[in-house]
Amino acid sequence: MEISTSRMTRKEKNELPVKNRIVIETRNLNFYYSDQNHALKNINLQIPERQVTALIGPSGCGKSTLLRCFNRMNDLIPGTYLTGEVLLDGQNIYNRSLRLEELRKRVGMVFQKSNPFPMSIWENVAFGPKVNGITNRSELEELVVSALKQADLWREVKDRLKTSALDLSGGQQQRLCIARALANKPEIILMDEPASALDPISTGKIEETIETLKTQYTIVIVTHNMQQAARVSDFTAFMMMGELVEFNPTRKLFTNPDEKLTEDYITGRFG
Amino acid sequence: MKRKRSTDIRRKFERRDRVARRIIALGGYGVIISIAAILFFLFYQSLPLSFGAKIKEWFSWTPGDRSDQILLVGVDQYQEVVYFLDQHGEVEFLRMKDRHILLRDSLPLEPGEKIFSADRGSLLRDVFAAGTDKGRILIGEIHLQPRFEGSVRRIVPSLSVEQTFQAETPGDSLPAHIEKVSFRRTEDGLELLAWVNHAGHLFLRIYDPEEETTYRYDLSEQLGNLPITTLTMNYSGETLIVASEQGDLFWFDLLDPEEVVLVDHWRASGVAITAVSYLLGNNAIVVGDAQGEVSEWFPTKNPLQKTKFTLIRRFKPHRNPVTLIAASPRNRNFLTVDSKGEAHLNYATTDATQLEFLPSDYPLQAVAFAPKSNGIVAADSRHRLGVFRLDNPHPETTLHTLFGKVWYEGYQKPAFVWQSTGGSDEFEPKLSLVPLIFGTFKGTLYAMFFSVPLAILAAIYVSQFAPQWMSRIVKPIVEILAAFPSVVIGFLAGLYFAPLFEKHLVQFLIFSVALPVVFLVGVVIWKQIPEETRTRFPRGVELGFVLLVVLAAFSVADLLAFPVRETFFAGDLKQWLYTHWGVVYDQRNSLVVGFALGFAVIPIIFTIAEDALSNVPKSLSSAALALGASRWQTVRRVVLPAAAGGIFAGVMLGFGRAIGETMIVLMATGNTPILDLSPFNGFRAMSACIAVEIPEAPVGGTLYRVLFLTALLLFLFTFIVNTLASLVGDKLRKKYARF
Repeated sequence: MEISTSRMTRKEKNELPVKNRIVIETRNLNFYYSDQNHALKNINLQIPERQVTALIGPSGCGKSTLLRCFNRMNDLIPGTYLTGEVLLDGQNIYNRSLRLEELRKRVGMVFQKSNPFPMSIWENVAFGPKVNGITNRSELEELVVSALKQADLWREVKDRLKTSALDLSGGQQQRLCIARALANKPEIILMDEPASALDPISTGKIEETIETLKTQYTIVIVTHNMQQAARVSDFTAFMMMGELVEFNPTRKLFTNPDEKLTEDYITGRFG
Repeated sequence: MKRKRSTDIRRKFERRDRVARRIIALGGYGVIISIAAILFFLFYQSLPLSFGAKIKEWFSWTPGDRSDQILLVGVDQYQEVVYFLDQHGEVEFLRMKDRHILLRDSLPLEPGEKIFSADRGSLLRDVFAAGTDKGRILIGEIHLQPRFEGSVRRIVPSLSVEQTFQAETPGDSLPAHIEKVSFRRTEDGLELLAWVNHAGHLFLRIYDPEEETTYRYDLSEQLGNLPITTLTMNYSGETLIVASEQGDLFWFDLLDPEEVVLVDHWRASGVAITAVSYLLGNNAIVVGDAQGEVSEWFPTKNPLQKTKFTLIRRFKPHRNPVTLIAASPRNRNFLTVDSKGEAHLNYATTDATQLEFLPSDYPLQAVAFAPKSNGIVAADSRHRLGVFRLDNPHPETTLHTLFGKVWYEGYQKPAFVWQSTGGSDEFEPKLSLVPLIFGTFKGTLYAMFFSVPLAILAAIYVSQFAPQWMSRIVKPIVEILAAFPSVVIGFLAGLYFAPLFEKHLVQFLIFSVALPVVFLVGVVIWKQIPEETRTRFPRGVELGFVLLVVLAAFSVADLLAFPVRETFFAGDLKQWLYTHWGVVYDQRNSLVVGFALGFAVIPIIFTIAEDALSNVPKSLSSAALALGASRWQTVRRVVLPAAAGGIFAGVMLGFGRAIGETMIVLMATGNTPILDLSPFNGFRAMSACIAVEIPEAPVGGTLYRVLFLTALLLFLFTFIVNTLASLVGDKLRKKYARF
């Protein structure tokens, strides 16, 4: 019952926190894993351009599901369906006129567990441009180098681009996955708990990378770690049981949340 | 108390662990040991093939101390009684066991008359003819009849003289002595006698018992009065070969006793030919000359379709003139003896001189094989008889005959031939493994052509594209197919599919062209549907599309079959293939086998490939899809390379299965051991050959051992293929599939 009231409040303040241009907007988004499993309930959220937006909440609250709605990765799971709209620059991405491949090129993704392909470092980074039709060798070279530089991996791997990506350390692999997403020159990068499997030093490096990337990219990051959300994000959305509880600038949400529930969560009373 | 219980439990678990470890180890070692045992057994059974011949003198006899010449020697089939015939017509039989002379008898010669020449008339019976210095010829037979008294076997010898006659001496009042005689009595009772008298005249006399007619010829004219050194006839009484001092050979055709013709004559040697003998098989002659050269000849057709004796091979030469040649009554073995008494045991087909030995310190006068070819009797000029035991179980196999081209008797050129049994006793087994190995790989290859693409594509579809409900149905069904008895597949293929295929050959031909064409047309039509509509179709619809395409291709093939057959193939494709391309169409051919064997192999490849593809982590394909790759790009660039090791292993396992598969190739091929890649004829695979022939092979015989060798090879092939599969598979997995 608490939740439903909070949503009412949330709705009133709907457009309040965001000044930047909106790149992703969800309208009354409902997502179902099956008829019985209603995973996202009426989500209305606006993601600002070139900012880091963090999605937080307890396990199973639907934050990853929401993230995966933004590049339609949930389509891969049989039996799921959704209602409502997800707008990318005003266009509904669930409209069939937008090709899936095009959408995913524009909305890149970094997964929780690093998943480099069993190929060389170079091949990994060049994979996205290649499948999207770039064959020119020098163009590919440029994309690979700049992606690796942006992901802060270039210095470490520039002499071993032809070696297997699987020989890299865990942190390096995750940054390689970021570079791989960047090589597609996406508008938005979705990160699904990108540092959860990494040690503090690697995590720090990832966070630094995110810091530099947000000048060029819109980043949506799902994280379990509230400190991390506080450190890296500009906006934070707090979700619970499939509902969006609060969406505010990070500083506000962590210091003076609008919702009692948010406060309970960030002060560690549950979750 | 509690502590004690926990240690008890730990001990219990340790004990169980130990027991389990031992049982597992036992199982593992058991498998390895049984495989090693199989390998050892196969090896053990086929190894005797490589043992050569052994000979040992085990009996020697010097009857009296006469210096008479011995003309004929022989021994019975059990090698118990040995006999000889000397120049005075004396025949003596000796039981070797106790050196007891069983019988002494003699030919009815006139006082002072001497036998000059004698010849055995058959390879199977001891009939002989003897020519004397008084110009008489005697025909007789030596019997060595086994009698059984209770369980004791006794050889009862006897001599019978059937005929004596005075040889004609035209234009000469003096009775001429017979210099050299050749005698044959065929299985039909035809009696042929050819002899040369002291004046060098060559006479021929053929007695036909059916017609009760005797034909007489004087062939001296046709030889151009060349001095004759020796002569022989084949055992079926069809040819007469006469050798001259100049090295010429004359070939007379005796097939028609009413008209004996000189077919051909040629120079076979630069020096005098001193010995000629036919081999078992009545086709090939062995020629020995004054320089010790030994060569084999038999008639082949030259490019002008003229039959001529051809030099097939030369054997290891003697250092001295060849004096005697004796042919084995069982196989292509023959013994050549030179003037110094040195003997070579040769095997005609293999070119091999198996043994070189010295039966005596003195020159030999007569030599003969035992009836079972397992012994040799030789008489020297000092009146000594030696009996030798010959251990030569597998003379016909050498590495060369098993794996190389061999010029078999009667063939036009050297060839790889597998023909293990024939209609007659003279038949020579041809045991080249090459056609069998070729057949095995041909069948496997056709099966792989058919099954590999189908199985892998199906695995890709089912694991990557098909909706879940479909893969849930398809996978177990295909896995059950793997357990389908191959005899049923072979039966269906051989008895149902092969005739069907033959009947609808044109349809199948058109279908194989029509399918890709119709498919392309279908894709073009599909592309016309706007993408928005297309993506609306649920997954699984594409299968209906494919079915539609197949059906369409089928109907196209059926519609076009008649007009195509009439216009292009003159109404009959099989006939057309034969007349235009010389291609013979067998009903049970490689295409049928490829289909049937492929059917057996598909489930294996499919199951393993599907598992490998499904086991590629979803995280990898998700990563590719998230980068904007299409489903197909994801499969091709990420999933397939990652699953390559598993797919390869599946293909190799399928290959191994196809190599070893027996029932299908047995039933669906004609089992014809030919070397021809044509898809329209059959083949004989090693496995099928073993299955077909092992019941016919006498245990311990050459065929038996060669079949074991075939099994050993088959074992090694599958062993190599499977080892290769796991090695390459591991390597691919290491490279692409570290996740």
